[in-house]
Order: sequence, then C-alpha cells, then structure tokens
Amino acid sequence: MTHIKRVVLLMIIINIVFLSGCSSFFVENNTVEEIAPVIFWSIQEGESGKLKISTLLPPLINEKKSMLTLQVNLLKQGRKDFNLVYYRELKLGQLRMLFISEELAKKGILPLIDTLLTDPDISQRLYLVVIKGNFDDYIRNQVDKQENLDYFLYRMLKHYETKNQGDITVINLHQFLKRLYSPFSDPILPVFKVNKENFIYNGTAFFKDDKLVATISDMNDQILQLLNNDYYLKLLPIPSLAVSLGQIRSKVIIKLAPDYSSISIKVNLVGRIEEYRGDKNIVDSDELEDLNQEIKSYLEKQTTALLQKMQQWKVDPLQVGTHSLTPFSQPIKDEEWLRKWGNMELQINYQLDLQTMTNVNK
Amino acid sequence: MPSPSLFEKSSPFSGVYFMLMVNRMQMLYYFIIMPRHLVHPYMIMGIMAVGILSQVNLMLLSKWFSSDFSVQGYQGFVQLLGERTVRVFAFLGLFLISLRITVMTLGFVEIAHQYIFPSMTSNWLILSIFIVCFYLASQGMENTIRFVVIAFLSTIWMVIIYYSFFFPPIASMHDLYPLMPPEWSAISWKGLLLVWSSLSGVEFLVCLTPWLRPKQKMLKYLTIGNTISVLEYLVLFISSLLFFGSNYLDKTKYPVLDMVRYLQFPAYERIDIVLISVHLFVLVFVNSIFILLFYGAIRILLGKGVRQTTRMGFAASFIIILVSILVINEWFWKSGEEQNIWLNLQIGVGAFTYLLVPAFLLVATKLKGRFKV
Repeated sequence: MTHIKRVVLLMIIINIVFLSGCSSFFVENNTVEEIAPVIFWSIQEGESGKLKISTLLPPLINEKKSMLTLQVNLLKQGRKDFNLVYYRELKLGQLRMLFISEELAKKGILPLIDTLLTDPDISQRLYLVVIKGNFDDYIRNQVDKQENLDYFLYRMLKHYETKNQGDITVINLHQFLKRLYSPFSDPILPVFKVNKENFIYNGTAFFKDDKLVATISDMNDQILQLLNNDYYLKLLPIPSLAVSLGQIRSKVIIKLAPDYSSISIKVNLVGRIEEYRGDKNIVDSDELEDLNQEIKSYLEKQTTALLQKMQQWKVDPLQVGTHSLTPFSQPIKDEEWLRKWGNMELQINYQLDLQTMTNVNK
Repeated sequence: MPSPSLFEKSSPFSGVYFMLMVNRMQMLYYFIIMPRHLVHPYMIMGIMAVGILSQVNLMLLSKWFSSDFSVQGYQGFVQLLGERTVRVFAFLGLFLISLRITVMTLGFVEIAHQYIFPSMTSNWLILSIFIVCFYLASQGMENTIRFVVIAFLSTIWMVIIYYSFFFPPIASMHDLYPLMPPEWSAISWKGLLLVWSSLSGVEFLVCLTPWLRPKQKMLKYLTIGNTISVLEYLVLFISSLLFFGSNYLDKTKYPVLDMVRYLQFPAYERIDIVLISVHLFVLVFVNSIFILLFYGAIRILLGKGVRQTTRMGFAASFIIILVSILVINEWFWKSGEEQNIWLNLQIGVGAFTYLLVPAFLLVATKLKGRFKV
C-alpha cells in the first residue's frame, strides 16, 4: 500500500509543477479568450523593400472583425508587432493559408517559405496562393457582408484539394517545397484575381526555382489538370466547338526518346459528352465521329501550344523530366535536362472515348 | 525493511524478452536522423546489406549465449578473462555506457525541445527524464527487463502511421530511382556507419545473460529482433524518400518527425508530439538498463561484485551519470549535427564495440577451451 501511496504522491507533485506553470519553466499561454489563432496571412510588397503583411482579427470570437496591416522587414517581426497593436496574442498554430502578391512572387519567395517551414507550430499543409490585385481591399470590403470570410476561403481550398476534382490547382507548403527541391520538376501555385467585390480563380502560376515566371489560365489550366495535376476534370466546356465534356478521366503515357530529342505524350481521355449546342446530329455515329475528331485535334493543338510555351519559359511543371529516371541508370543533370527540354520535339496524341448521354439529341 | 538486491534473480526470462530488448535498443534516436544521412535511394540496399552484416554478428553473439561461461554471469567473465581484465573492461564500460546514455538522452531532449517545449530549459527535461529512469531502475534489474514489453508495445505501432506515405498522391515511383549507386564514391559511408551503429547496443546484453533461461535457441530471438529493426529502418527510410525526394530530404533535420506532422487526423493534428512522448518509454527503458549496468560496473571496479547492493551506491552512480550529462549539456553539447563531436564519437564507438565484442568473446571462449584441453 505504501508503494501505491508513494507513486500517487509523486504524480501529484509532478502535475502541480507542470500544470501550475511556473513562468520560467514553460512559457506558453493558450487560454482561448486571450489568443488570436489567425487563419491566414497576406503578404504584399511594401514601401522600400519592406513586406506589408495583413490578417483578419479576431478569427474565433464573435466580435466585429477588422483587418490589421503592418509594414515590416521580417515575417516574424510582423508576428511580434501584431501583438503590440492588438489586445490578443497572435498564435500561428491554426495558420492555414498564405496569400502572396504576384509582384512579390516574381522576386522569389523562398526566404518567406523557409521561415514558415521551420516553425513547428505551422502545419506543412499551409495552402499557398498567388494573388493578382489587392487582396486587402477585397477582405476589407467583404468582411462586413460575409463574417467568416477567412474560414470559408480555407474551406474552399480544402474542398477542392481533398478529392482532386480538377477544378482548381491547390498546392500546400510541402508540395511546393518538394517540387522546388526536386531536380526534374518546377513548382506551381494557384493564382486568384481579386478586386473589391470578387475573388476569382485565375489559373496556375509556374515557378522557376522560387520565382514566378508565368501564369496560365482557362483552357490551358484545364489541360494542365488533365496532364499532370489531378488527371480528372468534372467538366470541360469547349465553347469554340459548342460542346461540354464531363467526368473526364485521363491516362497519360509519356515516352522520351533515349537521346531526349523528342517526347511523345499519349493521353487517353474517358468521359462523356454532357452538352452539345452545335449543328451536328450526334446521335448519328458518323457525325459523332466527326465531333470526336474535332475535339481531338482541338485538344492536341492546345496542348502542343501549352507545352511549347513551357519550353519557351524553360519550366517543367508537368515533371516530364522524372520520366528520364530509371532504376538502374544514371540520372542526367538538371541543367542539361532543361536545355534538352527546351529543344525537344513534341508529339502529342489524344485518344478519346466519349459516351453520349441518351437525352442529348436533336 | 531490508531491500532486495537490485540484481536479484528470481525467475529466468525467456528469449522473447531479449528479442524485444534487441529490437528496442536498435530503435533509439538514430532512426530519427538516419534518413537524412542516407539521402540517396540506393542506400536502401545499404540498409539491407548492413542488416545482413548485423545478422552475421548476432550469430557470433549467439555462440556466446550458448557457451558455459555466459550462464555464470560475472563469475563466468572472471573465469574466462581473469579478474584483473574484467576490471579493466568494467572501467572501459563505464565510459561506453555513459557516452551512450549521454548521446541518446541529449539527442532526444533536443528533439523534445524543438517540437514540444521550445520555451523550456533543456536541463529540466533531462532532470525529469532521469527521475523516471531512477524510479524504474531502482525497481531492480528484473522489473526493468519486464518493462521492455511496455516499451515495445507502446512504440511498435508507430510504423503503421507511415503506411499512408506509400500511396499516391504522395508516393511516386521515380523518387526511388536510381536504385544502384552510380559509383563507389557516391556511397555515403558515414550513413552506413550510422546504420551499423544504430544496430549496436545489443552487445551489452552479454551482461544480462544471468537473467536468461539457459539452453535456449538465442539465435532465433536475436534474428527476429534484428529483422524487425531493419524492416522498420526500411519503412521509415523509403517513406521519407517518397515524401521528400532525396534532394529535399537532405535539407530536413528530423525527416521522420516532420513527415508525421504532415498527416491530418480528425481529432488531433500534432501527432508528432504523441510520437515523441511515447518514444520516451523506450528511452527510459534503455537508460534504466544502462544505469543498472553502470552501477554494476562500478561495483566490479571496486571489487564488490558479489556483495549486497546498497541504495547509497546506486544513488551515487545515478548522480554521477546525471551530473555528467547536465555538465555536457550545459557546456559541451552543440546542437546541429554536423559539428556535434559527441554524436560522431558515439557513432564511431558504438559501431566499434558492436563489431568487436561478439568476436572478442567468441575468440576468448575458443582459446580458453583449447587451453583447457
């Protein structure tokens, strides 16, 4: 019995020491009423090389929200300075999104991202988003109309990430860094365009190292989702052919010539025609075949143009270079790969397997 | 109440306990930093090769376990080597043991400090770990050996968490290429040494043979323990390759833990904290065993090997270890692995003893046997 008593006593003493929190022992105060676990940070270029960072406060409690903006030299300086102007302590444990302005992204974002990565509080699932336009204006304008704006933006990104349904590109911190450091792939990030009223998905940004090089949108972005990112599109409207395809699943077979002089990309698309407003009678198999041919040549033309642009920009966001790796051979150098990639001959070939919905007839 | 001896032997243990001990001693701290030192996909082969080598070494060790000397414990060593030599080895052992405890504990404390208690002074962490170790060790060798079951069960499930890294979208095959090293110079010999060294620690089990039930097929248990460890190394290394890719892996300090941070569980996000805390069971177990061995070595050194153990003696040897660790932590330990002499020293020394002890004991028994004839 004395034995048990001793153990219990020891446990109590340990608990008292740990829970009462001697201030010099353990300096973390997470009383919910006193902290502000922010959900996003937006970073823009400030004056004279400074960073302009802003966030929406308070994130949790039912109070009127307001936007706080600071001009700082360092990211963590921002964290400290926020505490000086706001009565709750800012915590980064729930930081879910980082909005980076396009101008800043063009100058390189690695130092920013590294700071976030090394903070054990911040999840590596932090979403990175490039913003065209003034994001702060948008938040300031909208926060009165939609109270939990920050939270719903997070839910939106999470929604499209979970099932990879191919509507928008969603990239988190880890994915960005893995692509950044891997030799045969270049990072991509989603781009959103904002004005006072709207927050619109614009497309995908290509990065060379940590600098934004170019942005693609609309049809090019959809093709990117099919070729690499999600391999799936819920809807693919092609206005110029007056047709909408749906539930498209793609299978991409990439073959590199041994001397890297040419590349053949075969894309098998399986899906269905969900809408047709042109003048062909697609119940008739001949005319359907015509339409198939048109879609096929349209996609091939678009894809070739997109890849040529990538070659021009010397980026490889499709991670084509990884196909040069085999288990038992030497990998080629990254720079050599990019040089070869720039001059590679493209052979793009689509195979379509499209069903017609029975109710689509004339 | 007269306290029972710390080194009492009431009922002998089956080999299963030794299997668990082999395994847990090999899964201590090093496995956390290992992927970062191996980096290249072709080092998967390296792990396997070192694992097989370790198996050969354990075969030698099992020869010792089946010899007549081992059953007698301390007396066996005295018969085999002579008392003076045993004392010399005990003296060397003191340094080996304290170096091992120091590096493992400080390495772990550094991790806990970085991930869980960034604002805490690390000396407090060390102190609290050692209070637990003291409690466990003061229960005697038998109970400490029994504790291995808890240590094993509370940590073995960790490997399961890593399964999700083996599936898309995280995993893609090309992260594992090339599987063959391009040239000999590309092999990270230091990484291989680290693997070998992390498999070490097992050689200290020769001091625990008196608690082992005699005439068992030890090789079987040692093999299983070793194989589980090598498999765990492989799972962790391959999954960290898949997750980071080799170039990024190079830049991560504790890949095995950073990966876990990426996982999302509905109720709790910081699963890394759970993992680190649970790992404490293993650390406490191994430390306690080594603290007891340290005490035993001091007794042998002072020529009191056969007398009753005293609380004072045990507490004194415990305090020696604790103070030396605190001193090293305060003045000599530099965090950041590349420059850390202690870590490199332990990698070298651990590898060295693991290589030599089984072979040495085998040769000694063979020679002794010949002279007898």
